[in-house]
Amino acid sequence: MSKFKLANIFAYGFVTLFSIYVLLPIIVMILTTFKTRREIFLEPLGLPGQFNFSSFEKALSIGLGGFIFNSFLVSLFSVILIVIIAGMAAYVLARIDFRINRYVYLLIVAGFAIPPAAVLVPLYATVSNLGLLNSIYGVVMPLTAFGIPFTVILFYAFFLDFPKEVEEAATIDGCSKMQIFFRIIIPLSGPAIASAAIFQTVWIWNEFLLALIMLTSDEVKTLPLGLMKLRGEWSSDWPSIMAGLTIAILPVLIVFLIFQKYFVRSLAGLGK
Amino acid sequence: MNKTQTNSTGFSLSSDRVSVIILLIPALIFCTIFIFIPAFWAIVGSFYSYGMTSLNDWKWVGFDNYIKASQDEFFWIALKNNFIIVFASIVLQVGVGTILAAILDRGIKYGKVIFRTIIFTPMVISSVAVSIIWLIIYDPNVGILNSILKAIGLPTPSMGWLGDPDISIWMIMIVAGWQNTGFMMVLILAGLQGVSKEVYDAAEIDGATGVKAFWYITLPMIRNILIVAILITTIGAFKVFEFVYVLTQGGPSNATQVLGTYIYLQAFNLLHMGYANALSVVLLIIALILGWFQLKASRRA
Repeated sequence: MSKFKLANIFAYGFVTLFSIYVLLPIIVMILTTFKTRREIFLEPLGLPGQFNFSSFEKALSIGLGGFIFNSFLVSLFSVILIVIIAGMAAYVLARIDFRINRYVYLLIVAGFAIPPAAVLVPLYATVSNLGLLNSIYGVVMPLTAFGIPFTVILFYAFFLDFPKEVEEAATIDGCSKMQIFFRIIIPLSGPAIASAAIFQTVWIWNEFLLALIMLTSDEVKTLPLGLMKLRGEWSSDWPSIMAGLTIAILPVLIVFLIFQKYFVRSLAGLGK
Repeated sequence: MNKTQTNSTGFSLSSDRVSVIILLIPALIFCTIFIFIPAFWAIVGSFYSYGMTSLNDWKWVGFDNYIKASQDEFFWIALKNNFIIVFASIVLQVGVGTILAAILDRGIKYGKVIFRTIIFTPMVISSVAVSIIWLIIYDPNVGILNSILKAIGLPTPSMGWLGDPDISIWMIMIVAGWQNTGFMMVLILAGLQGVSKEVYDAAEIDGATGVKAFWYITLPMIRNILIVAILITTIGAFKVFEFVYVLTQGGPSNATQVLGTYIYLQAFNLLHMGYANALSVVLLIIALILGWFQLKASRRA
């Protein structure tokens, strides 16, 4: 066998094996939902004897819909705030010669580096003092703050490449910086906004630590907390737990498969 | 004439300054209230002792919390685990991600989009969901990992995959790799696609093809992206929380504790707020050092 063919076999073999590693847990999750509790004990590797939908009904009955709705609201509010606020700041940093820009940029990078766990106790006290414990705004506000630095960095790179002529023409027409930003820069920044919004949505939809400490009553819990509740309440009822996971994951997976080109593009832009 | 001009410039400058400040201020307010002031209070609070119910009743203890940390075996285990996760993630996620990206870029002809889509998919699933799925895979009674090993006649760990302190941290790394490798692959793939075809043609004339071309030509050309990938992975490794919290709760007997989970445990289970702050400050210092590297890397890029 020639050297070239061997390399080919290795290349296809490697990506195929890795794909199996990725797919297997998802297949296990879906198959388990249709099995009975007896079946998963007796034959962990077997296929379900019949398609049994009762675990889905059970999973929905615990209020998964409410958790999904809360996650949706938290993601929506946070992402809108992050994109607007970070976009405004990045515009100033990238396009306006302002004395304090250097220091603001340093602060932004520092903000990006600091993880929520490094400020956990005072952050809890802050949200508590604002009266926002057990309110979705108690996670929206800090998540917005933690999302801003990264998004500023993302927009900053984008705005640096922006053609200057448009702004100059607008300045001559008497537009203020504010008007230029909202009427000219924003409408032309579609791709950057999409990238930032997608990235932040994925992150916030899945965020767990801040939600865990701020949201303790069921009405305000987000999806990751809801999944922990499933796991806690039905410790060995794996079919129902997996049904809950399937319901939680499937919508995101479908959205991802439809828009996967944009997802990939938005994340690929990070390295630039 | 001259006077009007100065006036008009002066006027537009000040209105500009107002709009610049309005554009900048929301970002600064959010970050100050929810990141910088809490960071400041974490440092101050680390010199005090207080509990959850006495959030405003602080007792000055000086460096006691730091002395306690230096003698706390579990703090050192947590710190060590974070470093294990850094190195394992760089090898498993950036290393394997680079190999996958190279294969998808030039190694194979068919199925590129399908493979890329599959491998990237875990990125959009929440870490909590991912961890729960792996809980059933690792389960000693109903898990497929044990079933497969038994079926082919291999031994299985007697304390369970997550119950054995010698292997549990590595079982967590398998889950983390499952979720994050695809992200690294896509990041690096974007870099590889920026390398022009002419470069490879020129390399081929010089006799460098396949793995050789990749090692000597491609890797140096995507050096900046690799640095970014390693930084993102390192920063991520210090933020690890969900995998440990869901899979092992830091156990067995604190063997898989990381800084994130240990801070959470001290603050919200044991209510040692001052001590949790001291641990936070350690994480804060590491984070700021990494942030400084990030700044250096982005300037070079």
